[in-house]
Amino acid sequence: MAENRNSSAAPQPMIPRPGGGRRGPGPVMVVEKPKNAKETLIKLIKYIGSSRAIFIGLIIVMLIITALNLVAPSLQRSAIDAISADGVDFVKMGNMLALLLLTYALNAVFTYFQGIFSAKLSQFAVRKMRTDLFAKLVRLPIKYTDTHPHGDLMSRMTNDVENVSTTVSQSIGSLISSVLTVIGSLVIMIYYSPLLTLISISTIVLTIIVSAFMSRNMRKYFIAEQTLLGTLNGHIEEIVTGCKTVTAYNKQKDAADKFDGISANLKKAGIKAQIFGGAMGPSMNVISNIGFLLVAVFGGKLALEGAITIGTIQAFILYSKQFSRPINEIANQYAQIQSAIAGAERVFDIMEAETESEAGEIEFHSEDVKGDISFKNIQFSYVPEKPVLKGFDLEVKSGEKIAIVGATGSGKTTVVNLLMRFYDVDSGTITIDGKDISKVSKSELREAIAIVLQDTVLWDGTIADNIRYGRLSASNEEVLNAAESANADVFIDRLKDGYETRLSESGSNLSQGQQQLLSISRAVLKDPKILILDEATSSVDTRTEMNIQSAMVALMKNRTSLIIAHRLSTIRDADRIIVVDNGRVIESGNHEELLANKGAYYRLYKNQFEGIAT
Amino acid sequence: MIKLAKYLKPYWLIALLTPLTMVGEVIVDLVQPKLMSSIVDDGVLAGDMDLIISTGIKMLILVIIGGLCGIGSAAFSGTAAQSFGCDLRNDAFRKVTAFSFEQTDKFTAGSLVTRLTNDIRAVQQFVDMFLRSFVRSILLFVGGIIMMLSLDISFGIVLVCALPVEIIIMVWFLKKAVPIFSQVQFKLDTVNNTVQENVSGARVVKAFVRENYESERFDKANEDLTETNLRVQKIMAVLNPMLSIVLNISVVAIIYIGGLQVEAANVLGSGMGVGEVMAAVTYITQILMAVTMCSNLFQSVSRAKASADRVTEILETVPVITDGDNSDAAKVSGGSVTFRGVSFSYPNSSGEPVLNGISLEIKKGESFAVLGATGSGKSSFVNLIPRFYDCTEGEVLVDGVPVKDYKLEDLRNKIGMVLQKSELFSGTAEENIRWGDENAPHEEVVRAAKIAQADEFISKMPEGYNNMISEKGASLSGGQKQRLSIARAILKKPEILILDDSTSALDLGTEARLQQALKTELEGTTVIKIAQRIASVKSCDRIAVLDNGMLSAVGTHEQLLANSEVYRDIYNSQQKSVIEQEGGGN
Repeated sequence: MAENRNSSAAPQPMIPRPGGGRRGPGPVMVVEKPKNAKETLIKLIKYIGSSRAIFIGLIIVMLIITALNLVAPSLQRSAIDAISADGVDFVKMGNMLALLLLTYALNAVFTYFQGIFSAKLSQFAVRKMRTDLFAKLVRLPIKYTDTHPHGDLMSRMTNDVENVSTTVSQSIGSLISSVLTVIGSLVIMIYYSPLLTLISISTIVLTIIVSAFMSRNMRKYFIAEQTLLGTLNGHIEEIVTGCKTVTAYNKQKDAADKFDGISANLKKAGIKAQIFGGAMGPSMNVISNIGFLLVAVFGGKLALEGAITIGTIQAFILYSKQFSRPINEIANQYAQIQSAIAGAERVFDIMEAETESEAGEIEFHSEDVKGDISFKNIQFSYVPEKPVLKGFDLEVKSGEKIAIVGATGSGKTTVVNLLMRFYDVDSGTITIDGKDISKVSKSELREAIAIVLQDTVLWDGTIADNIRYGRLSASNEEVLNAAESANADVFIDRLKDGYETRLSESGSNLSQGQQQLLSISRAVLKDPKILILDEATSSVDTRTEMNIQSAMVALMKNRTSLIIAHRLSTIRDADRIIVVDNGRVIESGNHEELLANKGAYYRLYKNQFEGIAT
Repeated sequence: MIKLAKYLKPYWLIALLTPLTMVGEVIVDLVQPKLMSSIVDDGVLAGDMDLIISTGIKMLILVIIGGLCGIGSAAFSGTAAQSFGCDLRNDAFRKVTAFSFEQTDKFTAGSLVTRLTNDIRAVQQFVDMFLRSFVRSILLFVGGIIMMLSLDISFGIVLVCALPVEIIIMVWFLKKAVPIFSQVQFKLDTVNNTVQENVSGARVVKAFVRENYESERFDKANEDLTETNLRVQKIMAVLNPMLSIVLNISVVAIIYIGGLQVEAANVLGSGMGVGEVMAAVTYITQILMAVTMCSNLFQSVSRAKASADRVTEILETVPVITDGDNSDAAKVSGGSVTFRGVSFSYPNSSGEPVLNGISLEIKKGESFAVLGATGSGKSSFVNLIPRFYDCTEGEVLVDGVPVKDYKLEDLRNKIGMVLQKSELFSGTAEENIRWGDENAPHEEVVRAAKIAQADEFISKMPEGYNNMISEKGASLSGGQKQRLSIARAILKKPEILILDDSTSALDLGTEARLQQALKTELEGTTVIKIAQRIASVKSCDRIAVLDNGMLSAVGTHEQLLANSEVYRDIYNSQQKSVIEQEGGGN
C-alpha cells in the first residue's frame, strides 16, 4: 500500500486502508488494472439479451430490412435500365417503380418496428442494469462505502450507466444491420467468385491489425477520461459539501487550481480519445479502397484471361461496395462502443464486489429477541496491525442500561459497528441471547436493534416520511406519538407545514439538534428490543436534552440499551457504566460505585464539572 | 446557449479549421466515386490494366489525403470542443467556490456536481457535433441542390414538393418530443438523487434493514424514467421511417421525371441521358440525408440547450456576499468584535428572525462564550463575523471596521473558524492541518496539533502525520475530526478564534486539556466559543446567554448565576446531579 501512496502525485482520493487481503477490491487506480474488454462485452450482451423475445423480434425485423435493402438497388437499377438512348420503356419502368414503392413502404413499416424494438431492448437492458446496480449498492458492506470515494460511486451509477444506455440505443441497431449486411453480401460474393471474395476478405486482416492498434489506444484514453471524470466528481462534491471550511480558510483559489489540474488532464485524455476515435473512419476508408483496387486489378486480370465474365465483375464490385460500407459503419461506431465498454467495465466492477451475505445459519427472529448481549474476547482492527479492540469483554443482561464511556478513539463506536455487523470481528464472538451473531441473518439482527447515530441521515421527503422510516407500516398517529415522545413535536409544530414540511437535501434546513430529534423519533417508532445511542444527543443542548431525557427513560424501559456519550448527565442514570480504554474494559459499575472507586471514571467526572484538569 | 459561445472564442482558429479540413474530406468523398466508376467502366470493362493501376494510385493518394483531412477535422473539432469544455468547467467551478452558502444550499451539492460534469460534457459534445455534422450537412445540402439543379431545372419540382413536407414532418415530431426530453432529464435527476442519498446514508439504510425498501423506491423512479424514455423513443421511431418514405418517393419521382425528360430529349435529339438520371438520384439522396442529419442535430440542440441553461444559471448567479471596498481595512488589527443592533433571518426562509437586536462588544484577547438552547441562534451569531451570511439589520464590526467594508479575504484571514460539523478533505493529516498555513514548518504543524490535543492520535496512526485522511474524514472518529479541525484553525494564528460547538465529540479529559492549552498558548487571541456544557464555558472571561434569538444576559459565571434565570436553568440541568452526588457521595 505504501508504494501506492508514494506514487500518488496524481489526485487519488482513495483511502489507503488495505483491503485486509481477504475481501473487497483494494484501492487501485482503474487505469492500472489489466482490463478485459471481451469479458465485459459478453456480460453486456447478456444484459441486452435478457429480453429474448424482443431481441429475436429485432433480429427478424432486421433480416427483412436487410433483404429489402439488398433488393432495392437492383429494382432501382432495372427502373433506370428502362430508360435508354433508344427510348423509354414506360411500362417496364412503371412496373419497376411500383415494385420499388412497395419495397420502400415495407421497409418503412419494418423500420418503425426496428425503432420500437431497439428502443425497448436498450431501455429494458439499462433499466435492469440500474436496478441490479442499485440493489447491489445497498447491499455492499459498509466497509466498501467507507473506503470508496462517494463521488466515484456516483459517477459509475450515473455517468457510466448513462453512457452504456446511449450507446446501446444508438449503436445496437446499426451494428446488427451492419453485421447482417456483411453476411448477406458475403454470401452473394462467394456465389459470384470465391477467388475474388478471398482477395476482398484479405484486407480484413489489415482492418483487424489497424483497428486493434487504434482501439487499444482509444480504450486507454477513454478509461483515463472516465476515471478523471470520477476524480473530478469527487473533488467537486468534497469542495461543495465542505464549502464553509473552504471559505473560512480562503482556499477557493487552491481548490480551483486543483480543479484546473484535473480538468486539464481530462481535456488532454478527451482530445486524445477523440483523435483516435476520429482516425478510425478514415483509416478504414483507405483500407476498403485498397480492397476495391485489389479486386479491380485481379478481376481485370481474370477477365483478360477469360476466367470470369465482365458481367460477373460488375456485379461483384457492386456487392463488394455493399460489403465494405457496413464495415466502415462498424468502425465508426467503434469509438462510441469503446467508451461504453469502459463505462460498463466500471459498472461491473461494483457488481462483482462482494455483498453482505443474507442468510443466517441459525434461526433468529427479531421479534423473539430477549436482549442478552455478550462480547467475548473481541479482537478487531480496521487496519492490520493496528488493533482497535484488544480482548474486549462485556456481558449485558436483557433490559439492562449500559453506558460506554472512554477517551476519543478508545473503540466505543467500534463496539457498535461490530454489534450491528457493519464490520465483522477478527476473533472472538458476539452473541445475542446466546446466539452467535456472525451466524444469524444480518437483516433479522438489525431488525432487532435501533440505532441513533452521531451523524444524522435524513432523506429527501417530508418530516413524517423521515420518521416513518423507522417502521414503514406506522399510522400517522403513531408517527405523531413517536415525535412527541422524543420531544420533536415542539419544533415540528412551529414549522409552517408541520409534519408535511419537505426537507431539503439531507435536512439542511433544520438545525443539527432538530435533525437529531428526528432520528431519535425514528428509533422510537421502530420499537426495538435493543437500543443503541451513539452520541445521539451530542448536538442537543442540555436543556433540550433534559426534556428528551424523560422520553428516553421511557424509551429505554424494557429494552437493552447501549449508550455511548461523553456527557455525564446523559449516562448518570445507566444501570452500569463501562469505561473503555485502549480497546479493553477497564472499569465497570454504577455511577456511585465508580465514583467511590476514585479510578478513571472519577477523573473524567471531575473534569466535567471542574472544567479544567489539574 | 449563445451566452456560452464566448468560451469558444479563444479557439476560433482551431474551430474554423474543422470545416476547412472537412471541405477537403467532402470533396474527396464526391470525387472518389467518379474515379471508381472510371476504373470499372474504362479499366476493368475495357480490359485496360494500365488505366486501372494509374487511376487506382491516383485514387489511393486522394483517399489518403481525404483521410488525413478527416483525421484533421476530428482533431481540430476535438481540441476546440474539449478546450471549450475545460475553460467552461474551470470558470463554473470558480464561480461555485465564490457562492454564498445560501446559494450553494439552493442549488444543492448533487445538482452542482451534475451541472459541472454531465451538463458541461453535454454542451461540449454538442460543440463537437456542431463543428463536424452541422457543417458537413450544410455542405452536402447546398452542394447537392446546386449540382442537381445544374443537371436539369425540372428536378427542382421534386425538391419544391419534398423539402417542405420533410421539414413539416420534422418540426411536428420534434415539437412533440422536445418537452418529453426535458421530462427525461428531470426523471434522471430523481434517479440520481436516490443514488446519492443511499451512498451517503448507507449506515442508516442497513441499520433499519431498508435495503429492499430503498430498492423498491429506486425501482419506481427507474421504471418511471424508462417509461418516459420509451415514450420519446416511440415518437422518434415513427419519425425516421416517415422521413425515409419522403426520401424514397422523391427518388421514384426523380426516376420518373428523368424518364420523361430523356424521352423528350430523344425526341429533340439532344440533352439528358441515363447517367444524369443516376446522378440526380444520388444528389436527392444526399440533400434529404443532410436534412435528416440536421434533424438529429436539432434533437441534440434541445438537449444541449437544457444543459447549457443549467450551466448558464451557475455562471450568472451573482454571489450575494462580495468584497467590501475599504482598502485600509486590511491594516487594522487586534481582534475586537462589535455587534450593533444586529438582527438576522436566513435568506429563503419565511420564518421569524434567528437573531433579534443583538448589541455587544467583545474585546481583543477576551475569551468569550455563547450559551443557549438548540435553535437559540448561537451558530448564526458567529456566522455573521466572517460574513458567512450578512445580517439583515444593524451591523457587525471587527476592529472597528464594518465587516462589509473588508475585502473578504482580509476579513477571513483574521478569523480562525472551527465548525460544528468538521469538514476534512482527502489528503494527509498534515496537509489537512496545513490548510491553516501552507508555509508553516513541520514543527509548527506539530505544535498546533499538540495544542489541539491531536498530536497523540495522529502519531499513533500507521504513517503519523503522513497518514491519509479519507474523504470527509470517514476513517476518523468524531472527536478526532474535531481535533484536526481545531489544529487547523490554531495553525492559522488568527486574531479571532471561533469554536462553534466544536468540542462536542471530545471526551471530558481531552476537552479539559484542550482548554488549558488554548489558554496558555494562545494568549492575546480573542476566543469566541459556543458550547453546551457550563463546565466548558465557566472559566471564560464573559458568557453571553442567547434565548430565542435575543441576548438574555452577559457576564461572568458568577454574575450570571446571580442574575440570569436562563443561565441558572441550564446550570441546574447540568449541575444538580453533581450537587446531589457530592452531597450523597461524600
